Amino acid sequence: MRLPSLSLFLLFYFLLSSCDASSQHTNNWAVLVCSSRYWFNYRHMANALGMYRTVKRLGIPDSNIILMLADDAACNSRNKFAGSVYANPGRHLDLYGENIEVDYRGYEVTVENFLRLLTGRLSSSVPRSKRLLTDSSSNIFIYLTGHGGNEFLKFQDNEEVSAHDIADAFHQMYEGGRYNEIFFMVDTCQANSMYSKFYSPGILATGSSVVGENSYSHENDYDIGVAVIDSYTHYVLEYMEKVNKTSRLTMADLFTSYDVPKIGSHPGVRSDLFERPLGPGNPNHPMSEYGRGRGWTVEGGGEWMGREIEAGKNGRAFREALITDFFGGVVDVDVNNEDDAELRLFEDSECISSPKAPLSPSTNTYSSPPSSRSSSSLLDTLDTYPFLRPSLAFILLGALFVLVFSGMTSGRS
Amino acid sequence: MMDAESRFRDPSSLFFQFDTVRRYIIASYWVLIILALPLWWTTTSIERLPLPTSEVYAQAQKRLEIPLAICVDSAFSSQITSLQRSIHDAASYLDVQIHIGQDCSQFPGYAILPGEQILIEDRKLYYPPSADNLASTLASLLAPKMDHRAAQYSPRFRLSFTLLNEDSSAGQVTTSWDIQQAIARHIHPITSALGILHNYTIESQVQYHALLAFEPRSLSNGTVFGLTPEDLTIFINSAEWTLSSSSSNDPVFHFVLFIPSARRRPLIILNSDGTPSSSSAFLIPQWGGIVILNLPPPPPTTLHLDLLDLQSSFSSFSRQLLTLLGFPRLPPSISYSSSHNTSLSSWQIDTLLRQRIHENVIQSHDTLQSTVTLVSQIDGMPVDEQVQSQVQGSLSALHELFTYASVNLTFDEMLAYSAQALTLSSKAFFHPGMLAMLYFPAEHKYAVYTPLFASAMIPLLAAALREIAAWRKERREARAVGDVKEATSGDGPKVDTESVS
Repeated sequence: MRLPSLSLFLLFYFLLSSCDASSQHTNNWAVLVCSSRYWFNYRHMANALGMYRTVKRLGIPDSNIILMLADDAACNSRNKFAGSVYANPGRHLDLYGENIEVDYRGYEVTVENFLRLLTGRLSSSVPRSKRLLTDSSSNIFIYLTGHGGNEFLKFQDNEEVSAHDIADAFHQMYEGGRYNEIFFMVDTCQANSMYSKFYSPGILATGSSVVGENSYSHENDYDIGVAVIDSYTHYVLEYMEKVNKTSRLTMADLFTSYDVPKIGSHPGVRSDLFERPLGPGNPNHPMSEYGRGRGWTVEGGGEWMGREIEAGKNGRAFREALITDFFGGVVDVDVNNEDDAELRLFEDSECISSPKAPLSPSTNTYSSPPSSRSSSSLLDTLDTYPFLRPSLAFILLGALFVLVFSGMTSGRS
Repeated sequence: MMDAESRFRDPSSLFFQFDTVRRYIIASYWVLIILALPLWWTTTSIERLPLPTSEVYAQAQKRLEIPLAICVDSAFSSQITSLQRSIHDAASYLDVQIHIGQDCSQFPGYAILPGEQILIEDRKLYYPPSADNLASTLASLLAPKMDHRAAQYSPRFRLSFTLLNEDSSAGQVTTSWDIQQAIARHIHPITSALGILHNYTIESQVQYHALLAFEPRSLSNGTVFGLTPEDLTIFINSAEWTLSSSSSNDPVFHFVLFIPSARRRPLIILNSDGTPSSSSAFLIPQWGGIVILNLPPPPPTTLHLDLLDLQSSFSSFSRQLLTLLGFPRLPPSISYSSSHNTSLSSWQIDTLLRQRIHENVIQSHDTLQSTVTLVSQIDGMPVDEQVQSQVQGSLSALHELFTYASVNLTFDEMLAYSAQALTLSSKAFFHPGMLAMLYFPAEHKYAVYTPLFASAMIPLLAAALREIAAWRKERREARAVGDVKEATSGDGPKVDTESVS
């Protein structure tokens, strides 16, 4: 009697939780980070402010947007148009305008603050506006821009966050029930390496360029004197202008809008951790041809981790991922009708359940031990630990130096 | 080596060229390095105190069973098994004991008695014996599904009431309201009945200029203004409205009484098909409730809202508050009668308590498990004394709860234990000290440390090797001298004796 009841309970619990994961999120949050400072990085501030404007336009309230910005462009003494930040050479739209609420400003934009913000491990004195007050029914859009490289992003020229750190932070958020789904977007050089280490479920990621490739700025304004926006962000924002609050455009539509010759780099997508399909289950949708033709010069198509499991997702009963699932305000509002207020509570769940996908194994995390084959010779060790090569050279050089130096000086006495 | 005719001073006569002094100097460097090693070790190592991992996993395997005694009148004796099964299916955390064959009207727990119609009175359910679906009714009463609009459990909640004048400059302003009486009349019965669950702080304010961030749709030639369902989702202009004080980090329920500008009245809510809704209130899940109050157009330029004006708005607020707190509603087929003058039956309060206890236990299990999993997964994550004691405190609260739940704990005590377990476990998980060290690949470490330390270590090593070699040479020569017992021939001892004299 006890055992079946327990398994029944567990089954019920799983049904419930998988149902929650697929459709029920009640609020959207955005974390927008510009990790650069100084005037010549004007374009990164414009990137972040452009995203800020877009998520706000699509309905995420300011209280749910965490903006981390060095904020030294608008009031920079080199800025000819004081108090303004423009993202296009014609200076049509002042992104700085009114109602910019920067939550972490200047020297507060640090790796530590970023990771504390994500994991929620803040001291009790931190005000609400600097907290990511999400729960397990929140969708979070996270946008990073700045200077980066293979698996790292530089923060204000003195520290860097690595892909491992962000992956670990996301996993801590997952364990702590701090998100329902995350949409991660990064615009930096070699950006796709930034999401390569993720291992927690429910994360959809996209980046501006493959490993070994730069991301480029889009345009200069000759009056401002610097590049005003990055190419990838420019085209994403341009696409987002087509989206409104009630739009039914999907993530697949956004990804297929990437135009490599225009962007100048090869954007990537990672959807293997994300359980919902990116678009409607239509085999003719251009998403199935993502990364092929139309200027994509990558062998075998553009980088899309999770391409092969995408077709299998449509069999399940999950709704496709809409852009407004991440860029939007309050998801549903209940109008109180005095008569039916009583009724709603006892409605049964109508979502079709399916077993929860197993967590993808964290095989490519850095903590996995190196292969344990016994290395007999020094050369084998060097092959296993390539980083030993330069240090071995250093040690040998040092030893030689010691020998020569001590020989010379002891010969003197 | 030294040239005798050198016009420089003989270096061997310089004080720092005494062998002993030089060796002391070199040795002092090494002593310093060796003494500094433990300091370097302790300052760079991460404090990782052990967590009671196996206890956490063992605890997470346990399931809480909350005892629940029901007395069933003999009129329903044929339905006992289906009753038991349906309650168990709906909520396996209930340990149901059904008593049959006694006078249920005097029973201290729950009682099911035959009655004319379905009626709840305190903890007694009257049910017509001829009606059949008693089992499902009972299951929905004892274990309803938790409303997704309800907020997660917190021991403390802040209720913030705001009277918002959209635009006082448009001709009419509401300057005051009888908020204290309204709260006493409508909110206080709820907070006192559910005072066992949460601690409430109430604040209120009046604002005079709170513009909407969008233009409401104008209907019938601008005499009526409508809010579409999309408008409602962006109704709150959080950039410009300050709806609660930021004095604490407790979760806040916002209740907004919105008075549209005199230019834009009446402001009504539209259904999704564009027809006017009969309601003027709406609820944002887990956030709070909004009521739109359309006042008659001016002349009175200054208004005071008395208790009567606030009646309908505050009854909406009280309904919204109950929803936000997760209070289970009675199915519409069930009527309710009470000896006390309150609309909250003990039956529902008990149900909510049981749900919250169960929820808290599950949640603290999850959080504790996550904490120990993360600590074992991420090597650079520190665990300090506070985290350790919080995990242990949470475990011991759970232990108390599980040991005595079936014996002698009241709901009140069970909730207190579960809340304590939940609070401590989440404090441990979100402890600011639990921030993992940044990850650096091994290449980076070598690249940083080698240039720094190699250049410092090479002269030190060279000097030490040289001194050791010289010292060994001396010893060898001294031994040779002692063996042969001849006149001294080496330079070194001679220098020594000279320098001593």
